[in-house]
Amino acid sequence: MKAVYTFSLMTLHMLFRRRTLWGILLVILLALAGIASVPSFDVSNQGRFILDFGLFGIELGSLLLALGLAANLYPRDKETRTLMPLVAVPLSRWQYLLGRFFGAAIVQAAALLVTCLGLMLILLFHKLPVPGDLLPATLLIIVEGWFLLSTVFFFSFFASPPLNWPLTTMLFIVSQMSVSEFTGLLPSAPGLMRVLRMILPHADVFHIKDPIAHGFSIEPVYFLIAVFYGLCYSAFMLSLALAVFRGRDLK
Amino acid sequence: MKSIVTVCLSAVALVFFTGCRTDYDIEEVAPAEFLESSGGGEHVHEEFAAAEDSSTVDEHMEESHAGHVHDAGARNHGTQWFFNQPWAAPFIWGKLLRDAVIFLLLAVAVFVVSGRRKRK
Repeated sequence: MKAVYTFSLMTLHMLFRRRTLWGILLVILLALAGIASVPSFDVSNQGRFILDFGLFGIELGSLLLALGLAANLYPRDKETRTLMPLVAVPLSRWQYLLGRFFGAAIVQAAALLVTCLGLMLILLFHKLPVPGDLLPATLLIIVEGWFLLSTVFFFSFFASPPLNWPLTTMLFIVSQMSVSEFTGLLPSAPGLMRVLRMILPHADVFHIKDPIAHGFSIEPVYFLIAVFYGLCYSAFMLSLALAVFRGRDLK
Repeated sequence: MKSIVTVCLSAVALVFFTGCRTDYDIEEVAPAEFLESSGGGEHVHEEFAAAEDSSTVDEHMEESHAGHVHDAGARNHGTQWFFNQPWAAPFIWGKLLRDAVIFLLLAVAVFVVSGRRKRK
């Protein structure tokens, strides 16, 4: 595990040096500031409006971060031929994958926490109360971001970065759908669609912005189950990514 | 190619898990009392129950749903979208946990199988 730890630290330093991270972070923070400046019109509580849209913005930010950070990690390593010496001697393929994943996951989590802090500051600036469950809601979005990150890694082993973006975005959209909505996409084959939906993740598990915005409290046990679900699904996607990576001829 | 076979095998394995055949779409698996309490049952108020013409009842219900608010503790009309979410439906939490364990087991299986194939 020391090799994974060292390699993830190297990945972390490399990603922090890239302008992509800072660019995406800036876009998310600007979007949050923009949301706060939109009048709520007939919505009775401006804080509720900012919270709801703000958390949705952070969720979209997690998708952007996953794609921006990881979509070209493997393709770039392969193109610059830094991958060959890495997996030839010091690292096995699963260590390479985990090292890259953990490095990107830490960077993504840090960036999302910064956006959460930004949302808190916006609420305080507007003299609105900051709900106590805002941090747990962000933590669930971080777990969702890790799932998206593992999906990006999975696609990156057989798809180019320009193809990875629409594929991951499509999975992100589909994972928000309920079973009935998903089977409605192809009503002529409900059985097939139900099986597909069962394998696809349920991203609604990570959404607690509505109850937070409306002042409902979340059971701690639900929070733990949702985190466990997200981590298990991420592990599943990573194992699939590793299976693809192990079958790759790197020559 | 072998990787694709592994992915397909994983998908088939999921389908054959008996406990995994039921998904947790809240509208499908929710007990009746949950749907009724969230307004899914579209109950008719006593003041309109006596009306003979069903179109009159519908018109009255539309007007009344737009205008009135239920007492504290009772769910208001049109809030199904809010309460049909996983955080508000404890009866699906067990299914969530079940799916998580299945995905974890599959992850371990795919990891072991793909590693064994490489050594050959």
